Amino acid sequence: MRLLLVEDDTMIGETVLDVLRAERFAVDWVRDGEMADQALRTERYDLVLLDLGLPRRDGLEVLRALRARKDTVPVLIVTARDALDQRVAGLDAGADDYVLKPYELDELLARIRALIRRSAGRADPVVRYEGLELNPVTHEATKDGQPVSLSAREWAVLEALMSRPGVVLSRAQLEEKLYSWKDDISSNAIEVYIHGLRKKLGAGVIQNVRGLGYLMPKPIDGT
Amino acid sequence: MALERPHSLRRRLLGFIMTAIVLAAAIQAFTAWRSAVQQADEMFDYHLQQMAHALRGGLPLAPPSLESNGSEEYQIQIWGADGVQLFRSAPVPLPPRAVLGFSDARMHGVHYRVYTVQTPFQTIQIAQNLDARQARARALALRATLPMAVIAPLLMLLAWWGISRSLAPLERARAEVALRAADDLAPLAGEGLPDEVRPLVDEINLLFGRLDQAFTAQKSFVSNAAHELRSPLTALKLQVQALERADDEGARAVAVGRLQQGIDRAIRLMQQLLVLARQQAEAPAGTLPALALAPLARQAITDALPQAGERCIDLGLDIAGAEADLPLVRGDTDALLILLRNLLDNALKYSPEQGRVDVVLAPGRIEVHDSGPGIAPAERERVFERFYRSADAAAPGSGLGLPIARAIAERHGATLSLATSARLGGTCATLVFATPSSS
Repeated sequence: MRLLLVEDDTMIGETVLDVLRAERFAVDWVRDGEMADQALRTERYDLVLLDLGLPRRDGLEVLRALRARKDTVPVLIVTARDALDQRVAGLDAGADDYVLKPYELDELLARIRALIRRSAGRADPVVRYEGLELNPVTHEATKDGQPVSLSAREWAVLEALMSRPGVVLSRAQLEEKLYSWKDDISSNAIEVYIHGLRKKLGAGVIQNVRGLGYLMPKPIDGT
Repeated sequence: MALERPHSLRRRLLGFIMTAIVLAAAIQAFTAWRSAVQQADEMFDYHLQQMAHALRGGLPLAPPSLESNGSEEYQIQIWGADGVQLFRSAPVPLPPRAVLGFSDARMHGVHYRVYTVQTPFQTIQIAQNLDARQARARALALRATLPMAVIAPLLMLLAWWGISRSLAPLERARAEVALRAADDLAPLAGEGLPDEVRPLVDEINLLFGRLDQAFTAQKSFVSNAAHELRSPLTALKLQVQALERADDEGARAVAVGRLQQGIDRAIRLMQQLLVLARQQAEAPAGTLPALALAPLARQAITDALPQAGERCIDLGLDIAGAEADLPLVRGDTDALLILLRNLLDNALKYSPEQGRVDVVLAPGRIEVHDSGPGIAPAERERVFERFYRSADAAAPGSGLGLPIARAIAERHGATLSLATSARLGGTCATLVFATPSSS
């Protein structure tokens, strides 16, 4: 899951960035409205954490521009602006949720998970596929009830594929989910993770479509 | 010594006017009384005279029936030329042969006014009982003072009504002020107020205007401050939670370090808010002692040396001309030191590594030059607003350093402005003292 963190305060940004990374999110951090707008125009994110009081361009403007482009990426406003009309304005501008500073990290993470879940059209926080289960809250993966130990990257690849069964994801798309700007990506990294996953879960779980990418086939019973 | 007595204008006016009316009425009544008594006196004397002259013409055949009416007010005695008493109306004799003309006499405890007239043939004496006479005079005088007794209360009533009516607008204004909420500083209504009170109300309204401004500024400051405190506190809260979540030594050490930075930042912001509040509350520094600028600049530079050293910035002092020629300025050493330190802090923060910062002293003038990126002309005034942070500001800060510096400058009657540094290419902050005092 790839997140954009828009926060101008260095101390808050540093801490949130670390916590999100520890939660296995790929996070890009920008510190002003102009940069946020640019990042949202060029990259694809699964969720945006948006501060409103930003230098150069106000967060609400960035949000309105985003929605004007018909971009449906979930946006969670995280701000100190606590007046009722400000919260209403934020939600009306197209935000999916609104969190007030100062906030609890656990609550912020829960809201992030909820928004991602909702945008994927799921009500159940646990991602299921055949006998596989991924619990994003506890970071536990199980196959037929047996725990499977996955690295953060393997988890991210598997989650991306499991979330959209039957859809082919290209290597670039998978990389996008996995990495933020700062990471160095080696050319065969995805292959390495796929290889690891196949070893842990069985060779047939992830299929390769040559020249296109990878997919997990739609279950026959339609669940 | 003067005791603070509540004095109501209305009560005082009423007091004065009522006293004046009573006094005037009393004086009027007294003089009316006096003149009535006097006039009655003259009139009765004239009567006596007329009666005596009437009798002089010849003794009436029937003596005047004074005796018969039982009244003893008038007494008549007539003597012949030979001194034989021809007639006496009363049983009590009057003093014989009193002086001619008017005289007062006393007989058997009764006062008489006596008129004596003499003809070649007889001497006529008429006396009037003074008590009776005075009783009549008093009755007359009382009637003369009666109108005043009626008019005085009427006047008082009129005065009371007039004063109450004239002061009603004041009472309205008072009631309006009394009903005000503490933060309602809208102007008072001036309509219908008398010319004497209007300037006062106008002044009060002007004062209200100034108070309102100060009040609004204060409110926005508090709300700004509360908002600005939220970020450091949010950071602190997050840092504590991150510390709780850290599961290895390395992560914990990072979290503790950040937490300490966060606390330092919150403390710095608090201190700056306090300094700002204090500087704005202090009295103007006009009466402060004279001080030399060079030692002050040296102190500020010494304080900033560690910060400059961290980033290898060349920090130095440059005095235009001889140090001894610099005039003294009046000022508060501590406050000016804070001002200089804030300017230096900014200059050092925005100068690149290995950059240069110069403090230049000239008569009545301090400049701080840096080799940073400079400030866009459009932002040169905005950076003096509290909590304003330039969009391009790369360095962390509270947004209070320059507002504090300006507050201190204003207290000293000095001007603080930003320009492009011709010397180093970055920003030049210039502090100019208005009137350099002579040493």
